[in-house]
Amino acid sequence: MNTVDMIAVIAAVFLSPLLGGLVAGIDRKVTARLQGRYGPPILQPFYDVLKLFGKEKMVVNYWQIFCAYMYLAANILTVVLLALQSDLLLIFFVLAVGGVFLVIGALAAESPYSQIGAQRELIQMLTYEPLIILVFVGIYLEAGSFKISEIVSNYHQPLLISLPLLFIVLGYAIVIKLRKSPFDISTSHHAHQELVKGVMTEYSGPYLGVIEISHWYETVFILGLCALFWHTNFIWMSVLIVVTYFGEILVDNITARLKWRWMLPHAWTGGLLMSFANYFWIYAKIQ
Amino acid sequence: MVEGLIGVSILLPCIAGLLCFLIKSPGARSAIIVATGVVLTISALMLFNNGPCTYTPQTILGLDVNLLITVADFGLLFIILGIAFKLGNPLVIILTLLQIVPLAYFELKMAPHVELSPAFYIDTLALVMNLIISIVGSLICIFGIRYMEEHEHHLHLKKSRQPRFFFFLVLFLGAMNGLVFSNNLLWLYFFWEVTTFCSFMLIGHDRTEIAIKNATRALWMNMTGGVAFVAAIIAIYYKTQSVEYLSLQTLINHSPELTGFLLLPFALLCFAGFTKAAQVPFQSWLCGAMVAPTPVSALLHSSTMVKAGVYIVVRLAPGFQGTYLSTMVATFGAFTFLTASALAVNMSNGKKILAYSTIANLGLIIACAGINTPAAIIAAILLIIFHAVSKGLLFLCVGTIEHAIGSRDIEDMRGLYNTMPAVSRITIIGILTMMLPPFGALMSKWMAIEAAANIPWVVVMVALGSGLTVLFWARWAGLFVSGPQLKQQEIRKESALKATLLTLFRGFYPNAKWKDPASIKVPLVVLASGAILLSMTVPWIYTILVKPVVASYRTGLFVEPFKTMPFGLTSGVGAFYVLPVFLVSILAYLMAVFASQKGGHRVISAPYMCGEQYPDPMQPKFRSHLNSWKDYMAGNVYLHEFIGEGKISYWINILSLIILIVMFGEVVR
Repeated sequence: MNTVDMIAVIAAVFLSPLLGGLVAGIDRKVTARLQGRYGPPILQPFYDVLKLFGKEKMVVNYWQIFCAYMYLAANILTVVLLALQSDLLLIFFVLAVGGVFLVIGALAAESPYSQIGAQRELIQMLTYEPLIILVFVGIYLEAGSFKISEIVSNYHQPLLISLPLLFIVLGYAIVIKLRKSPFDISTSHHAHQELVKGVMTEYSGPYLGVIEISHWYETVFILGLCALFWHTNFIWMSVLIVVTYFGEILVDNITARLKWRWMLPHAWTGGLLMSFANYFWIYAKIQ
Repeated sequence: MVEGLIGVSILLPCIAGLLCFLIKSPGARSAIIVATGVVLTISALMLFNNGPCTYTPQTILGLDVNLLITVADFGLLFIILGIAFKLGNPLVIILTLLQIVPLAYFELKMAPHVELSPAFYIDTLALVMNLIISIVGSLICIFGIRYMEEHEHHLHLKKSRQPRFFFFLVLFLGAMNGLVFSNNLLWLYFFWEVTTFCSFMLIGHDRTEIAIKNATRALWMNMTGGVAFVAAIIAIYYKTQSVEYLSLQTLINHSPELTGFLLLPFALLCFAGFTKAAQVPFQSWLCGAMVAPTPVSALLHSSTMVKAGVYIVVRLAPGFQGTYLSTMVATFGAFTFLTASALAVNMSNGKKILAYSTIANLGLIIACAGINTPAAIIAAILLIIFHAVSKGLLFLCVGTIEHAIGSRDIEDMRGLYNTMPAVSRITIIGILTMMLPPFGALMSKWMAIEAAANIPWVVVMVALGSGLTVLFWARWAGLFVSGPQLKQQEIRKESALKATLLTLFRGFYPNAKWKDPASIKVPLVVLASGAILLSMTVPWIYTILVKPVVASYRTGLFVEPFKTMPFGLTSGVGAFYVLPVFLVSILAYLMAVFASQKGGHRVISAPYMCGEQYPDPMQPKFRSHLNSWKDYMAGNVYLHEFIGEGKISYWINILSLIILIVMFGEVVR
């Protein structure tokens, strides 16, 4: 492993929670402004997590602790693999590990709320996972590799130009993955959406803190995926990330939660149609 | 020595089966089964160590082997015909006659005395299959000893029917070994029919009405495959006017100008493979096979029977590389993967989940064979290996659980970790090895997706199916650990580090004893550790077991699709870092266990019930009207309104038939 890789790993492990927390803070601020409130300070998520770590440790079942840490580890590994520019599908599978352990942790507690949350989270995973695979396949068809390192070095124009529809599919998947409204079905950041916090119901204190930090890693990973669509120019990359994330926040605030019975068929149909359209585009271009 | 080992692999199970049938003493029978398992394992390892080879047996005990197999073949078909008359099932009678008459015509009129050399062609693929059959199959037979004792105890039988059961169970292993070694298609056909017959007898073993019904269904569905097989043999001879092409190796390595002629036989043989591998629309026989005792399901699903179906497709794949047929096989396999995964989501019966997941994985293997690049074939073979181990393990786990709790419904397995920690833990390992990285099954899926990426509709079906598999595995694993924290955990006084290490072997309840007998413990532990170790050593498995298979065909054109690195595999388009991911997983696991075992102040609370909960945290209940306590019920989402089994099975069967018709239509044309 060379020095650049080492730095990438260290940055991924230590800087991404800072970045993720910051994004969460900005998210809350922007959301508040959109709702006509003043909103918390940008650093509020960090204060929250620090406070969580000072609270009493309380669990229903030791499996919850186990699963919280596995969730964290999987998400850290996802970001590290992204920073090392490894295989997109491998990264995707590691991401799934985190999701699976979050669900197992929620199922471990015999509370009806977290059980329902777990089932809904599973449906959310079911909805976004194929979409993300389809996006990655599209990237492969266009750039000729699943390895980020080779895409970055061999493909010299922004992926967004040839894969606009797949970027929309990715946006769709991101809303579901980040559990933003209208797909905040398994658990919601908005108090008005639900009484009990779904998949997170039985997590409290330091363990909820661990879950929060894992979520920051997840956010960074998602932003990294978006960045891949404009890897040629740093400024445009940043613009793309900012615009995408602002779009997500906007959608989050102007929509109300939908049922999974709506989400699953619509996301799949829309995602499949757009992916196919984009594949044909790529093929037509090759011909 | 090679002759001896081949003889042991095929004949020893037959002799041991006969002994099991004749000797009525349970002790002696157990000894024979264990001894056979050990000898088979050793012989498979020695044979593997010896490397690829060929062999043509001339005589056994002075009898001409070729003649012997021909006679046995007809004998078997007439036995099946007799059974068909006894069952009064016209369909089976017709299907049997459709094999006897053409085969007799072929053997007597068209091509009498087909002598092929070599009769046994044992390359690395056959050796890998032999290892799987001999090791996983033997472990399942050993598990069966104790299982059948309890099974018959539950049934209150006056006279034990175990001799008959073990006769067919052990015989199965011999037939499978013969099947994977055979190069002569007529011999292969014989062993093929033996496995069909054995599975019929084993599925119907309990002789209940439903068992006989399902066994008959398995029989007729597999007999259609048999008919296709005979048709393929005749078609090969008819098209080439030469018996040379009845040798599997000649058939596969035919000269390019013959490809058009041979597509029909290839399609027919693939169809035979589809029926045996229970692909849609033949999925119902494998699901129906669930009525049989667990060792049967475990054997049919992991190391034998269905693996014969995918084996033949993978074996033939190089022969139809780059043709229309190949694309159709890939489409068909991917379609099965998607639909069977959807049906698995729909099930709450643990064994049916396993059954549909088996069908799905076989579909993925067949899809890989159809994609037919070296990388895809490697994915297929790795999947055969990892699936055999993990699925065998999961069936044995469900069987053990079923005997303990009297149910195979996953909803009844809620919180099983609190009562059966050891078996639950092993089941969770089995589940995770099927679905998560860095385990081998998932690595094969990674290879499959990368290989499929150039056929968009195939990759879409694989992607959707792969999402569905995560759903049904994850919730099952979660259900096991759902429940309150038991008190016995609190009494311990070891240091956190020691507790963490102990947890590796004994889970979160170190004081709980695992009471099952050795014949149940040993297969479970061996298969569970095997599933993990095989995954960890995947770069070596690839180099030793899988690469030679792909390198052996299309010599000269072979470009190695994957490179082993000290820590994983890379392909031209991707990389899978096995060891680093494993290392991080182990570290994460230890960290997570350590965190949960650490001492210090910690409150075990009752789950949240809106502040209206029952005082005892062990029993989550709501306060209801008049201060009465009401239980709550939680259940899985089975997506019945979208993909109810009854609702979509019909359409799945229609669509799969259309794919098959399109496949044959173009080939015949």
